[in-house]
Amino acid sequence: MRLPALGVRFLILATFGIFFAVPILWLILAPTRTDKALIMGHPIAFGSFHQVALAWKHLDAFSGHIYRRWIANTLYYALSATAITLVVSVPAGYGLAIGKFPGRKLVLSLTLVVMIMPAAALVLPIFLELNAMHLIGRSLSVILPFAFFPFGVYLAYIYYVTALPPDLLDAARVDGAGELQTFLRVALPLAKPVLALIFFFSFVADWNNFFLPYVLLADSNQYPITVGLSDLLASTPSFNPSVGGGGQSVNIFKPELALATLLAVVPIAIVFVFSQRALVRGLVGGAVKE
Amino acid sequence: MATVAFESVTKVFGDGTRAVDGLDLDIADGELMVVVGPSGCGKTTALRMTAGLEEISDGSVRIGDRIVNHLTPKDRDIAMVFQSYALYPHLTVRDNIAFPLKLAKQAKDEIRRRVEDAAGILDLEPYLARKPRTLSGGQRQRVAMGRAIVRQPKAFLMDEPLSNLDAKLRVQMRADIRRLQGDLGVTTIYVTHDQVEAMTMGDRVAVMRKGKLQQVAPPEELYDQPVNVFVAGFIGSPAMNILQARIEGGVAVVGDARLPVAGVAGYEGREVLIGIRPESLEDAALANGEGRHRLLGRVELREALGSEVLVHFSTAGRLAATDELLELAEDVGDDRAAERATLVGRFSPKTRVRQGDTIEVAVDVEALHVFDPKRGSAIQRRP
Repeated sequence: MRLPALGVRFLILATFGIFFAVPILWLILAPTRTDKALIMGHPIAFGSFHQVALAWKHLDAFSGHIYRRWIANTLYYALSATAITLVVSVPAGYGLAIGKFPGRKLVLSLTLVVMIMPAAALVLPIFLELNAMHLIGRSLSVILPFAFFPFGVYLAYIYYVTALPPDLLDAARVDGAGELQTFLRVALPLAKPVLALIFFFSFVADWNNFFLPYVLLADSNQYPITVGLSDLLASTPSFNPSVGGGGQSVNIFKPELALATLLAVVPIAIVFVFSQRALVRGLVGGAVKE
Repeated sequence: MATVAFESVTKVFGDGTRAVDGLDLDIADGELMVVVGPSGCGKTTALRMTAGLEEISDGSVRIGDRIVNHLTPKDRDIAMVFQSYALYPHLTVRDNIAFPLKLAKQAKDEIRRRVEDAAGILDLEPYLARKPRTLSGGQRQRVAMGRAIVRQPKAFLMDEPLSNLDAKLRVQMRADIRRLQGDLGVTTIYVTHDQVEAMTMGDRVAVMRKGKLQQVAPPEELYDQPVNVFVAGFIGSPAMNILQARIEGGVAVVGDARLPVAGVAGYEGREVLIGIRPESLEDAALANGEGRHRLLGRVELREALGSEVLVHFSTAGRLAATDELLELAEDVGDDRAAERATLVGRFSPKTRVRQGDTIEVAVDVEALHVFDPKRGSAIQRRP
């Protein structure tokens, strides 16, 4: 390749790289700096670890350690809902993949339709339904709707259709297994890659869900981190001048906010690292004959 | 161990495809029955119906004294070896073999003893702790066999178990399976599309075409006395040469040649099909005065195999082109519409014919087969 063409290619890539990297870098560096330094100083610069500790102290002190509570709430909601999702969606996907029953195609089509439907569109009917069941304001009001994860059913369906040789199931049946044993002893153990995939996507979707808990939960002690962050944002003079200037009791400024955002991403990053191998395997599983 | 019987068994799929059509077949206790036929002939469907993996549309399958139509696979007491081996990839060889015994809730000591017995028979002891993905094709095949024999079932069902192996291993495994089946004496249905496998392994061979049973007989009988032109063309490698002919004065006229055939009085003046096995053809120069009846031909191809020479030669006359033969020809790419017929002869290795030579080929007229061209059935030759 000629040098000018290489240069143009590099320039385009570098422009896009910098465009996307700068905000992330700013976010990572922001907790190390003071609010003043963030406004007056160079946008990309490192402050001090002492400033990070100070930002955490302010953040943790906010509303009586409520930030910790939000993280704990989110873990509880996301893990509970994901557990239900796994228990429900893997057998459902298996049934759709190998079952021969009337209405199978209809159920599959409905799964796809619900999958592409925006979650916000369902908030009002879900609210009315939960209200009728007297669940509004309870943990279950978030966990149960979170557990409804048609994408997980579809992932399991695709996995079983493409990656599980039908001969294996037939072999188990001939070897003396009933349908339940065939699923539990053969189909389920072979679904580890797709289990990891569903776990990851369900956990991330639940962790990031804002609108549903925002509507369904009134008590800030029950908030997940997404709703909590918006509460935090509303308490920051930088974003909400009505809460006053530096003389206020709440020490939440840009560095604290950046730290809160960064910490909120950590659990997802950990889940990703642990499920990465299975994720990659799951994504390519069935693509080639092994 | 038990007998297996198909009684007017029919399978019609949802789209109307009649995969198996009125199959009647009795398999004796301890017999190895090979079911053979081209792709789509219904052999695998028949096997899967025996296993309970396909529903039976009509008729009944009997294992021992019981009609098993409505029994689930697990209640039929059969074991199956699949073409893909179908080993459980998440289990070790030991657990794969033990799988059916664990499902049957056998005692742990009994499971260990029987797994080790099976592994001993199949030389699998060194691999018991390994996962299937670390094994070669032949070893995987043996694990699949181990899983089948460990149960001591009433019948083995084998669905083209050797088709994924290379040619050399296939020959060895063929003998191993035959010996093992003989030692265990378990009734076995063995499905294959490979007629060499069928001929070498079966106590009897059932030939199927388009869902229908064509003939069931011991291999030699199938070869020497095919009941129709399909069986004649399918069994034998190289395949039987089948030509169009006309009966004139009790003699079959094939191109320029006149070949005497017996028992065709009722066909005087009519068209017939004449079948000549490759070994019924010989280089006339080596025929020592035998084989006064000759075909004139031109050598198109010479394949020296050491113990014999396969000579492909063109001669006057036309190859038969019935539906059955066209179906078989499709598999091997024969041109049955050609003006001159190309035949294959199995010549002595002493033959000196070369490609392009014009040759005389001696025909053993005692071994000719004659078929009715419309019905495809063999014409009973009467002396």
